[in-house]
This record gives sequence, structure tokens and C-alpha cells, in this order.
Amino acid sequence: MEESKLPSTFEEFNDARKASFMKVKEFKDAGGRLVGFLCSYTPLEIIDAAGAASVALCGTSNETVPTAETVFPANLCPLVKSTYGFALADKCPFTYFSDMIVGETTCDGKKKMYELLNELKDVYVLHLPQGQQRAYEADAWYQDVKLFKEHLEAYYDIVITDDDLRAAVCRRNRLRQALLDLYGLQKLTPSATTGMELVSSVMASTFSFDIEAYAAQLEELVAKRRAAYDAGERPVGADRKRVLVTGCPLGGVMNKVVKTIEDNGGVVVCSDDCSGERTSSMMIDPEAPDILRAISDRYLQIHCSVMTPNDGRMENTLDMVERYHADGVIESILTACHTFNVESARMERAMESHGVPYMRLETDYSTGDVGQVETRIAAFIETL
Amino acid sequence: MTDYRDMWQDLGMDLETHDLLCAALPQSFGDIYLTQENRPEGMAFYDFVVSEIHGIRPAELVKLKEDGGKVFGTFCVFVPDEVVVACGGAVTGLCGGSQFWVPEGEKVLPSGMCPLIKASLGAHFGKTCPYFSVSDVYVGETTCDGKKKAYEILGADKQTYLMDMPQMKRPQDYEKWTGGISAFARMVQEVTGVELTAEKLGDAIHLINEKRQALARVHAARKADPLPISGKDVLLMTQIAFFDDPARCAQMANALADELEARIERGEGVFPKGTKRILVTGTPLAIPNWKLHHIIETSGAAVVCEEICTGTRYFEHLVDESATTLEGQFQALSDRYMQNNCACFTPNPGRVEDIVRLAREYRADGVIDCNLKFCTLYDVEKSSVAAALEQEGIPCLALETDYADNDSEQLRTRIGAFIEMLG
Repeated sequence: MEESKLPSTFEEFNDARKASFMKVKEFKDAGGRLVGFLCSYTPLEIIDAAGAASVALCGTSNETVPTAETVFPANLCPLVKSTYGFALADKCPFTYFSDMIVGETTCDGKKKMYELLNELKDVYVLHLPQGQQRAYEADAWYQDVKLFKEHLEAYYDIVITDDDLRAAVCRRNRLRQALLDLYGLQKLTPSATTGMELVSSVMASTFSFDIEAYAAQLEELVAKRRAAYDAGERPVGADRKRVLVTGCPLGGVMNKVVKTIEDNGGVVVCSDDCSGERTSSMMIDPEAPDILRAISDRYLQIHCSVMTPNDGRMENTLDMVERYHADGVIESILTACHTFNVESARMERAMESHGVPYMRLETDYSTGDVGQVETRIAAFIETL
Repeated sequence: MTDYRDMWQDLGMDLETHDLLCAALPQSFGDIYLTQENRPEGMAFYDFVVSEIHGIRPAELVKLKEDGGKVFGTFCVFVPDEVVVACGGAVTGLCGGSQFWVPEGEKVLPSGMCPLIKASLGAHFGKTCPYFSVSDVYVGETTCDGKKKAYEILGADKQTYLMDMPQMKRPQDYEKWTGGISAFARMVQEVTGVELTAEKLGDAIHLINEKRQALARVHAARKADPLPISGKDVLLMTQIAFFDDPARCAQMANALADELEARIERGEGVFPKGTKRILVTGTPLAIPNWKLHHIIETSGAAVVCEEICTGTRYFEHLVDESATTLEGQFQALSDRYMQNNCACFTPNPGRVEDIVRLAREYRADGVIDCNLKFCTLYDVEKSSVAAALEQEGIPCLALETDYADNDSEQLRTRIGAFIEMLG
């Protein structure tokens, strides 16, 4: 096999980035298959069953936003811009070394970004339905997931069997359970860990080549935290206000939102964003008669604001507020994300009608509004 | 002017606020339209419609309802009018083209959104648009993020039927849209209480095709130099076509086309021969949004074609009339509507091809690609359009604007410089 090349700008990278490029390069040179993805609607079991590692593309840093703005309008979601910027600047090892990138028709920004990304990388776009309830949508999505499976089979010249899929489901279920157990620690009062640790651990799972090793690592972390808690250790003060974070993916605004909450007397006890608790709680029956259908059905049930109607999201958030004993809800919306932004009016109504304090924050990856965000978050937590 | 206040009151409108709108329109229409020279006589009809824009057609729709018909308010050129017409209903466009409605819309929507969506919801919730008030059902579609989610808010206040648009154009997506039209037809039959037959739908398909052909004739007259009609006037005709009765729309457009064709024969124009010719592409220009055309046509150029929803996309491609079963007709409708190259599709190479083709057909000297602020779809697609036009050697100016007037002078400067550059 031909050895893969490093980007021409490799020497300009700092050591950490160089190291991650080398790590992915080694994986590739050893014959590893790599598929990049962006969204939790991507049916990862199919990629797993193709013997490929699925990796989330970098897209949580402001660093590459100016690069993207040479092609894209400034007034666009920072996640979309950052992701494209990483691709254009060859700064993300996953994007750079991936054999292909899997996109989906979730939101306007991503949908159109994939067209331009396709000029840089091989992009395969899944046609995601715009809702979950209309009778034909599950069938249409099933057909699209099947097409994706066939695409991977043709691409790698392999056959993906039902047994491969079932095995992949078992591994993914184990990882989901580990994540759920991790979230479970936060139900304790006071919670067993900080939101920063929680969210970082969850994010790391999307950059791991080996799901089982990662699941084992998480299980160990949970056991350790649990034992420490049982031994009386309380890393989180009992006086901290418990906050549930909802809205857009948190990756790019971890410091701005999660850390700021925790620096101002709060603790993030759960999030219901894409990689949050609800998505992890959706298991797949490995014994399902039609395993591919079980996989496609599972993914379609994810509650993203791109779906219409999307009542289930509000219901789930209310349910989580109760189970995690949240004192308040902060909705984090990335600038120019129309679907979450418009839906926030309904989220606000749902929370307020149940007496749950709610605050909407619209922000991006830049540092321009850090002070303002901190003032608002601190004021909100004070009112709880 | 007839007094429509009783009708507006009966429709539950906010008369006081609505009066402010009624008071502002004649002035701006006069300034923008009636100052033009040598306008075709056929424009008198459209001037008259504007003078009673919230009265004369709504009164007809009220009458239709009294006679048992139903009114379907629509936002998008993907909704197949044929089905409604076949069931004895009327389709009407809805208000959404003025800054007047935006602040009211911002009460229920974030301010960082497309002005067309904000204005539409503002017109509904502010009760200042008779077309919203008279509609029995609104018909939405999953075209863009903003509209898709706004329909949820609208739907909480009045029956809103959502058509689920495919996001791609693969064979299975055409099939899906056929299914979408069939489901739409079931809803229309339920609401109207009229049973749809292949005969009725065949007649309606024929009627709407005639309307498209009539609109196409008027547009085609703009291929001539000198131009027999201004871009502003054609835009007005197209905007009104969304509200009018389809048979009358065809009749009036054909009469206008007759006049324009006679003008071409005589070599008579509204601008000097050789005036720089602009093709406009991008997002829709809903009535009374005449800002862009007005600036272009008072800066030394003329608009010869609009590759937008209130332009060629509204009338290009006819529905095949040969099908004799409902199933076949739904498929024929799907085939026609899916040819629309809206930026909501991915990928969407057809739009760029359309722009290049139309620029050639209409002998455009340059293209202005203008989208409404916060329209992610058209904003992102701009770079592809610019690249394609550069390759074809067609000058292109990319603009972004909204309904507010505060950028008029800036737009005028940029458009003026662009026209100057065309030589």
C-alpha cells in the first residue's frame, strides 16, 4: 500500500497537532480505513461493520473560521465554517486522512457546505428526512441507510453481513451504556463530577479509532468516580446550582458556556445536545430480525431541531430536568443556526410553563462576547 | 377607491395598523412605477390591482368562500396550484415583501432571520394582510430551515399543511414528491369536500399551463433590444400573478404580450437601444419589494430577466398534459415541479446552468446575484454561481440586502459601479 502523504504545511504545525497527524498517518499506513462524519444521525454501525474507523471531523475551533470565510459568507454557523476551514487548511488529521466524508441533509448550512467540501474530499451525503412521524419517512431513511451500506461495500470492495452489523451494534451499545453510566453520576446530589469533565469525556469518544478500548476506558472512569464518591469524595460543592444545557453542539463553546457556568457557581449536570444523554440512551436490539432496519429506525429517532415537528425534544428536556434535578436550563445556540434559534421559543415556553428557569444564549466560537456571556450566565445562576 | 373596511373588519384584521400600510403604498408605488416613461398600456391593469391590492382580490376570495369554495394561502412555488384549482379552490400568495411587517414578525421569531419569513409571520400575527386572513389553510413546505421551523409557529395559530420537499433530485426523490403531491391532494379534497377526478385535474393542469405560457410570452419580449417593457413592470406582473385568478392572469398577460410584440415590431422601447442588460438571480422578490429593480433601472441599466421564484422559476417548464389517470398526473406534476432549481436542493448544478442559459437567451451583459439576508442556502451557493459565471466570462455582482431602506445608497453605489464596469 502506498504510504499516505502529510499536508504540505505540516512543518508549521505545533507539536500536538503534528503528533495527532502522525498517529492518524500510522493508522492509515497500517491499512486502516477511515471515514469522517459530522453528525449524530450518521449510522456509525455501518461504518464499523465496514471495518472502518469513524471519526468526527474537527470543527470546534475558531482557528479555521477566517480560512473558511474566504469561501463562505461570514454570517454562517461557526461549526459549519470551522469544519470547512479545517478541510481547506489541511489542519485536521481526520478530515485530511479520511477516505471519505459522510454528510447528511440536516440543516441548510451543512447541506450546502458539503457541496463545496466535495471539491476537496470525497463526500457522500445521506438524505435525512425532515421529520420522524410521517408514515413513509422511516422507510425512506431505511433505503438511504441501505444505499450508504452499499456505497461502502462498493468503495472498499467488501461485503457487510448482518452478523457484522449485529457485532457492531453490540459494541456501540456497550459504548452507549458506558456513556449513560457516566451521565448517571451526575444524577447524584451533589453530582460526582464536573460538566467540563463529562463533556470532554463524551467528545473524546468521537475521535477514538477503537470503540471497545474507549468503552473500557469510560467504564473504568465511571467505576473510579463512583468509588471515590462512595468513599465520601465530593468534587462538586453541594451549593452549586444544577444546570441542564440544551441546544446546538457544545464542542466549540465548551469554555465559553460550560466552563463559565462552572466558574460562576453552577455545575452542568447534563446536556441534551447531539451527543447528550438521550442519544446515548437509544439502544439497538442486536437480535432484531432486520438489523439494518433496527439501525436506521434508531438513528431517525434522534431529536434535532432540523426535524419538523419536533415536539419530542421539548418533552425529553423536561423529563431530563426532573431526572437530573436541574435548577435551570441554558440553551446554547450557535450564531446563524436557524432551526435551534426558532425552536428556542418553543423550548422557552415548555420550560416556563413547568416553572423551570430558562435562558437563551446565542454565541459563536470567537472571544468577542466572552465578557457579555459571563455576565449573563452569572446573573442567571444568581437567580436560581 | 372602493371602501373595503367592512370586509377587513369581518376578516378580523387590525384596521388601525392596516391603515398605516394602505397610506404608505400609493406614495412608494407612485415614486417607483408611475415615474416611468412610455409604459405599455397593458400595465394599467396591474396599476389598478396595486391601487386596490388589499381590496379587490380579497373581495373575490371572500365571495368564493361564500359560494362554498376554499382558499389556500401558499409561500412557495413548489406547491402545485393545479390540485387546488381542480377542487374548485383558490390559491393565493401571501404578504411578505415589506419591512412594514418585519417588527411584528420579530415578536415571534429571532431578528437574525430572513426578512421574508419575518414579514410573513408579522403579517399573519399582526392581522394586517387580508390574504392571510381570508385563507382557510396555509400550505408550507420543508424548503429551508427558517420556513420549516416558522411553519410550526404559524401552524399553532391556523391550520398549516406542510409539504415535505425532497432535499435531493435522485429518481427516488421525484417519486417521493409524487407521493407528496398525492397526499396534498387528499388534504385538499378533505378541506374542499370536492372529489378530485382526472378530468378536473386535467383541466386545471391545462389552465395553469396556459397561465405559464402567457407569463413566458411577456418575459420573452424582454429578449428584444430596445426593451419594450421595463424590468420593474414585468416584476410587478409576475408578483401579481401569485394572487390573481389564473384564467384572468393568463388573459391579461397575453394582452400585455400582444402589445409588447407589436412594440418590438415597431422597434419601440422604454430604454434606449444598447442599454446595459442585467439578469437578476437569487431569492424571491415578493410584492412590494421593488428596491433592487428600481435601483438598477435608475442607474443606467435594465433588468431583462429574473432567475428567481418571482421570475422564470414560476413559469418555465409545462406540466405534461398527456396523462389520463390521477396517478399519472401526479407524476407529471412532480416531474415539472422538481425541475425547479432552488438552492434548497443538494447538489444543485441546474441553477448555475439555468443562469448561464438565461443570460445568453436574454443577452444579459451582467448578472446580479442578490439574496435576502440570513438566507443560508443562497448565500452559500453564491461562490458556486460566481465561479461558474467567471468561467463563462459573464460579469457578476453578489449582493445581500433586506427590506429596510438604509442600505439603498450603498447598493446604488455598488450597482452603479458594476454597470459602469460593463462598459
